[in-house]
Amino acid sequence: MWRVALRDLQWRRRRFVIAVLATSLVFGMTLLMTGADASLHNEGRRIVAVLGADAWLVADGASGPFTTSTPIPAADADRVAATPGVVRADPLVVLHSTLRRPSVRDVNVIGARPGGLGMPPTAEGRAVAGLGEVVADTALGLGLGDRVELGGLDLEVVGLADQVTWYFGTPTVFVAIQDAQALGFDGQPLAMTIITQEMPRSVPSGLQVLSDAQARADLERPLASGTQSIAFINALLWLVAAGIIGSIVYLSALERQREFAVLKAIGAANRSLLAGLALQAVLLSAAAAVLAAGIARLLAPGFPFTVEIPPSAFPRLLGVAVVVGLAASAAGLRRAVGVQPALAFGGP
Amino acid sequence: MMDRIDIGIRDLTIEYASGGYIVRPIHHLDLQVASGELVLLLGASGSGKTTLLSALAAILRPAAGIIRVGEVEVTTLRGAALTEYRRHRVGVVFQTFNLVPSLTARDNVQAPLWAARMPARRARARAEELLDRVGLAERLDHRPGDLSGGQQQRVAIARALAHDPPLILADEPTAHLDYIQVEGVLRLLRDLAQPGRIVMVATHDERLLPLADRVVHLSQPVLGEARPPRQVAFESGQMVFEQGDRSDLVYTIEDGEIEIVRHRADGTEELVAVLGPGRYFGELGPLFGPQRSATARAVKHTVLTGYSARDFRDLVGSGRLAEAIGRPSY
Repeated sequence: MWRVALRDLQWRRRRFVIAVLATSLVFGMTLLMTGADASLHNEGRRIVAVLGADAWLVADGASGPFTTSTPIPAADADRVAATPGVVRADPLVVLHSTLRRPSVRDVNVIGARPGGLGMPPTAEGRAVAGLGEVVADTALGLGLGDRVELGGLDLEVVGLADQVTWYFGTPTVFVAIQDAQALGFDGQPLAMTIITQEMPRSVPSGLQVLSDAQARADLERPLASGTQSIAFINALLWLVAAGIIGSIVYLSALERQREFAVLKAIGAANRSLLAGLALQAVLLSAAAAVLAAGIARLLAPGFPFTVEIPPSAFPRLLGVAVVVGLAASAAGLRRAVGVQPALAFGGP
Repeated sequence: MMDRIDIGIRDLTIEYASGGYIVRPIHHLDLQVASGELVLLLGASGSGKTTLLSALAAILRPAAGIIRVGEVEVTTLRGAALTEYRRHRVGVVFQTFNLVPSLTARDNVQAPLWAARMPARRARARAEELLDRVGLAERLDHRPGDLSGGQQQRVAIARALAHDPPLILADEPTAHLDYIQVEGVLRLLRDLAQPGRIVMVATHDERLLPLADRVVHLSQPVLGEARPPRQVAFESGQMVFEQGDRSDLVYTIEDGEIEIVRHRADGTEELVAVLGPGRYFGELGPLFGPQRSATARAVKHTVLTGYSARDFRDLVGSGRLAEAIGRPSY
């Protein structure tokens, strides 16, 4: 009886194609949402890794290096460096500011000691060696030697770093810590955090030690509502996809009632008719999932921030799509089971 | 084809709910059909032709009675045995052909073979053989929408023959065909009625009468036979006729009281009217052919005169007949 289901799909191919297209757009959106969510987490992982810290020390009671509003003296870095277990300690200033030139762009700013911890590896050019220099994220589209204005500071781009964004793709610029202090603290020698190479064996007074994972959690906390929104939209998209598949299968079951009645009357078992309808739902879902992979890849570059769809999302989409397709077709399947073969005679 | 079979139908009653009332298109039917016969079930719309075919196809379960096809008691079949019967013992040619529109002629004939899990190659060969037999070897890959009514009907016949069943049921096989198409279909049906197989055709098309070995009238002839009026007495609670009975006489009340009730689908009764001396009832059935639409029962000792439809018409006067039947009747 599966042949009857396949022939029916061929027969109604225009509707099938439209349903596949509509469902694949929805599935494509779920892939993009999954990619956006993954990007947010990947950004956090990358920026924390690029700063090269083994431990993050912040003011006692502060929320974390990226969200604290309680700066600490930069000189505490020397106190931390003297702590047993620590090989090196450097102060770090973390800010959000706006580039005024060449165009207005919001940026994350990290101020670190030139040659110390907290400066990223450069893809082009060199690291910041002193005041008035900046290493910029390639996402800003700047070139070596360009001059930028950041909070009244005139800086020269001496290096470019790849994939150093956070907060939905906001690019990061790295400057000397004194420039960052001028920007954020009117030149006062303060820092948000002190990062270390190797873990301190004791905690200096007035400070607390955070791990990489805790620093990442601090970075991601403000994004919680964003990621929840993404999850909610994803759930809605799945519902829409289920609605499309369910409607198509239900309509098909409605239109084919007499056909089912005839097939039952000539000896087709209920389960084989059900299998045929279920096969249609699975084919529709699977075809839409495959097409969705292409659509997502096509649309991803159009997003204002990098959408990183994890490779595992594709087989997972296929599996979930098939399950959703089957679940959505339940109403249609029930309809088919309920058809009385007497309908083939036109009554009673 | 299976071994020689015959059909025995005993005291068959089929009922279903319609508009909240119990309808019994088949009521206490007895019928014997011998192998090789082509039987016409003749009757007006609603006389139970299709209903009887549905019961013979084991698609509709009767309320009472027995249907036996060969050694198989159809009315007791359940589960796998029922599916087996539908697959191998009976082939049905439905009214309006009922071909699956998405399937080609070949696939439509293969469908019952697929349902029975016949290997694809054998099913294909069998379908092509049958379509060749009904003269459609050139139309194997045409869908129903590309075939004429007569061709579709022949595909439907080929599908009914897929398992070479000993019983073929055809429901109004000429209803949607022009006279040229009818000819081919009639010839096919006649050819199918061979020893070892029974063909039962439900129709109201009297052109089929010369084809039949037997004709079973499921609705009585309009007006029926003339017979002298007769007086009958009924005691309190005694039934004059029951809802679903075949109609014979029109009654006038000489003395006593008659209540007219309808049986509802939920098992209760609806009192329609209580009639006294001088009133008549039960005229529509004998005049036009349908079964009784209600039950008439004596409320107390009652004397009735029963008239044939012809006598009733004479009694009322044909000019006043329309007026007589225009009033509520039972």
